[in-house]
Amino acid sequence: MKLLVCAKQVPDSTVRVKVAADGRSVDVSAITWAISPYDEYAVELALERKDQDPATTVAVVTVGPARARDALRQALAMGCDEAILVTGQGADTASGLGLARALAKVVEDVKPDLVLCGRQASDDDQGFVGIALAEVLGWPHVSSITKFAPADGGTDVWKETEGGHEVWRASGPAVLTVQKSEKEPRYPSLPGIMKAKKKEIPERDLASLGVDLAGPALEVAKMEPPPARGGGKIVKEADPAATAAELVRLLRDEAKVL
Amino acid sequence: MKAWAIVERGSSGLRRVSLEVAAKAKELGDAAVLEVTGTERYSPLAATAALAARSDAPDLVLVGATPTGRDLGARLAARKGWAYVSEATSVSVDGGSVTATRMTYAGKVRATVRAPLPAVVSVRPGAFPLSSGAGEPQVEAVAADAGAEALAFQRFEPTAESTGRVPLAEARVVVSGGRGLRGPENWKLVEELADLFGAALGASRAVTDAGWRPNEEQVGQTGRTVTPDLYIALGISGAIQHLAGMTSSKVIVAVNKDPDADIFKVCDYGVVADLFEFLPAFIEEVRKAKAGG
Repeated sequence: MKLLVCAKQVPDSTVRVKVAADGRSVDVSAITWAISPYDEYAVELALERKDQDPATTVAVVTVGPARARDALRQALAMGCDEAILVTGQGADTASGLGLARALAKVVEDVKPDLVLCGRQASDDDQGFVGIALAEVLGWPHVSSITKFAPADGGTDVWKETEGGHEVWRASGPAVLTVQKSEKEPRYPSLPGIMKAKKKEIPERDLASLGVDLAGPALEVAKMEPPPARGGGKIVKEADPAATAAELVRLLRDEAKVL
Repeated sequence: MKAWAIVERGSSGLRRVSLEVAAKAKELGDAAVLEVTGTERYSPLAATAALAARSDAPDLVLVGATPTGRDLGARLAARKGWAYVSEATSVSVDGGSVTATRMTYAGKVRATVRAPLPAVVSVRPGAFPLSSGAGEPQVEAVAADAGAEALAFQRFEPTAESTGRVPLAEARVVVSGGRGLRGPENWKLVEELADLFGAALGASRAVTDAGWRPNEEQVGQTGRTVTPDLYIALGISGAIQHLAGMTSSKVIVAVNKDPDADIFKVCDYGVVADLFEFLPAFIEEVRKAKAGG
């Protein structure tokens, strides 16, 4: 089985994100970059399949600026077999649909059986490109999956939904957007890191793909920190029972939520 | 302006977020309230094909930001070449564009974005509270194009713990537990409190990673984002990834024995206490208050 994971490099989830002076973008001067968490789950889920079936190969692709090469290197160190960087002019201005068209070109070249994407990138949090990629390819998709496994005549896919999981069977290629992997994403091993260092990451010029990068684009008019929440009132009475009674009184009379 | 509101039905009628988007669509323009029917389970391709084939061309499509709404909204927008805005908390239309606010960078930055019409916007539950007099909208059924789906539904595997509770994403009250509860066996206390409020259950990532609770209860960056009227955090320290998923709640109550826990920086009411001493007393007081009306 051949798997292709689409990943995006985003600010590391543990760093603070500050709005830049222009009020319409984020200040990237002090950012540590990482694979978007859901994409990391997608890599892990693909590698878990490879663990069970060594004949499986896992390729990873990103469309992004030159620094996104580090995210691909990380995916290789985790155990992916090959990586493709699509970069160049337009990589940071393409619309969501334009990015999906570019990724579709890569899919046509790589010819995977399944494409895995994170359910959303943790920068714009839109959750659009993976599903749009399925649409451009004319493939079905399953969103928010936590597991997939070969089944009679195809692949069974576990979609996390309210109250449980729906199991869907794909008899042909499909795009899966990943909610979580079965295990936590693996850390690159030392041999993995050494191997990844030696691997070549071919670079493809976005413009050379010959796709329409335009499309209905979102224009950011403003960015601001979320409304600040001050530290609240600490409720403390003589004993737990009195504290509980006072908290209930506040919730009822002051906050009016009871 | 012509609008569609795409609605979903739960076990007890139209979902609350569906009523919210229907009311909002009517406020913004000439609105059709559409419900895709005819398949056992929501099917992305069957629903997209049915909606895409309609002859009436909307300027704006509103859909609730539920798992189904986000999925269908993205696929429909991609098919039609329309703009897509996800998880909006405000929506306004001006000339040929829609302006929406939404959280980005996992809740760390609020963005105001503008998109050209036509556009599909998924809307966070609770973003447009219903006025008390709002009645049921007139719903037009749209027959799903079942033949368009390439995948075959096999079965549903329910998560035992969540059965019978309101969906986390649109619950008005969420009671969440963290590592401070010490083990899954202590969740009966969390459930007891949640039952009194008719609340959904949430959990910190530490708890779902440890397998104490199912993944779908995880609140935070790689889990669910919730915006209830009341969020009760029990034994949760308040890692930045958890805060990303719940700081838009209206009122936050935190109970933790560590007075320096970060959760106290975002809460409205904090109790520094041993959970196992405080929680039974709190449950008792809530029970009394609820009984007293």
